Amino acid sequence: MRGVSDISRASAVGERYLQDRVAVVTGGCGGIGQAICQRFAREGAVVYAADITPAQTLHSALRYVKHDVALENDAVAVMQQIEREHGRLDILVNAAGIEIETTIEQTTLNDWNRIFAVNVTGTFLSCKYALPLMRNAGAGSIINFGSYDGFIADPSLAAYCASKGAVHALTRAMACDYGPENIRVNAICPGYIDTPMLQSFFGDSGNIESLKQAVRDIHPIRSYGTPEDVANLVNWLAGDESRYATGQLWVIDGGLSAQVQQMRL
Amino acid sequence: MSRLQDKTALVTGGRQGIGRGIVDAFVTEGASVMTCGRGERPVELPENVRWQTTDVSDAAAVENLKQQVVRHFGTLSILVNNAGLQVEKTVVETSDKDWDRVMGVNAKGVFLVCRAMIPLMAEGGSIINIGSISANVADPGMALYNASKAFVHGLTRSIAVDHGPAVRCNAISPGWIATDMAQAAFAVAGDPEAAERDALARHPVGRLGRPADIARFAVWLGSDDAAFATGQCYILDGGMTAASPLHPGLF
Repeated sequence: MRGVSDISRASAVGERYLQDRVAVVTGGCGGIGQAICQRFAREGAVVYAADITPAQTLHSALRYVKHDVALENDAVAVMQQIEREHGRLDILVNAAGIEIETTIEQTTLNDWNRIFAVNVTGTFLSCKYALPLMRNAGAGSIINFGSYDGFIADPSLAAYCASKGAVHALTRAMACDYGPENIRVNAICPGYIDTPMLQSFFGDSGNIESLKQAVRDIHPIRSYGTPEDVANLVNWLAGDESRYATGQLWVIDGGLSAQVQQMRL
Repeated sequence: MSRLQDKTALVTGGRQGIGRGIVDAFVTEGASVMTCGRGERPVELPENVRWQTTDVSDAAAVENLKQQVVRHFGTLSILVNNAGLQVEKTVVETSDKDWDRVMGVNAKGVFLVCRAMIPLMAEGGSIINIGSISANVADPGMALYNASKAFVHGLTRSIAVDHGPAVRCNAISPGWIATDMAQAAFAVAGDPEAAERDALARHPVGRLGRPADIARFAVWLGSDDAAFATGQCYILDGGMTAASPLHPGLF
């Protein structure tokens, strides 16, 4: 297993890769969001961690901004603040997301609307109000959060799977519409990443440790991903090294979805 | 920069185009690099890059290439299977000889080089195969090329599953890259200039790709930043395949 020491590995992009770029990360106080914010800060960016509730401890280089991504007024207010303070936005990462562990019969209409409000409408609203600021910058990189669950299904995650499929389609559509303005739009599609959301997913299972081991061993890479693994690819997509990359869905899942179902013979 | 410091790399087809771009990027990032091709060493290849004349479709030549890697590097950190060629023909136009040429390099060559080099990556390695968007969506008049790249994508997933966790294996699927191969495709169009203008309009980023675009992602995949990335065929095409193939001027 790889451990936290991985974080100190040599950076795989140029020195201060995002120097002076202005970045907003929604869900910036969550498991993956924090790793992205910290990586961006280390690369020299000005980073706003936008979240509905602040992290208990926020890295000193980050600026917290309250943001319920489902609310249009919040999206407007966050982008107005960025415009006041910087006049432009270079990077938007839509990492805010929730999941509900139910089949569709168990899913209430309220649950369904809530998950779409955060995962899909939230992405739509943040992008909608970020785009004028990226136009001010003359360029921009938007990184949405899809999921490998947008391609193949995990059990009892129906609304989540559907919401991520919507994010994938939105990503391609926006890439086509805004490419000519030098604004790139990609989605990152993580597999099993060791976060509080994953712990919650396992939380309902009977024998958690043996299940976690079994899931781990199905991965060709024989480990769960870390938030830093995801942040590494988000970081590459955020800056100029990826300037030919747009409209694509970047799966990072330790090889899980490269294989067919494994029969237990 | 030194993102690939202390890593050894073999890049097939490093004479020109994407392969040469990757060789240059790897050297810049501090890797020890060997490359190969069918002809003699290119005169402009940097001195610190090793060259081995090799036809990757020839098993004996690939075995010799392996011996050179063992002799100079001992182990191998990064393998880039880039060597490839295309024949612009439909199935009906394609001769048996065309089949041997295209499948020999693009399919058998990738297999032979992987079979030879994977045992040298026991301490951990990253294989980067150059696939193509043409494996997912057909380029007209390029039947065997399209099919050969689908083979590359299938082999990529198989290697990731069979040889992980020590070996990671991914493919990069370039779209239109401004190389001699792309110019050759434009040249066979009725109006080559109009064909090129049309191609540009189909790219949300407004230009064709460059070898350096692919090389920068190859560096990422070869680096430790990509530790959780395996079994994927990553598309790098300026957004072209995100859009419907309808003519962009229709609306």
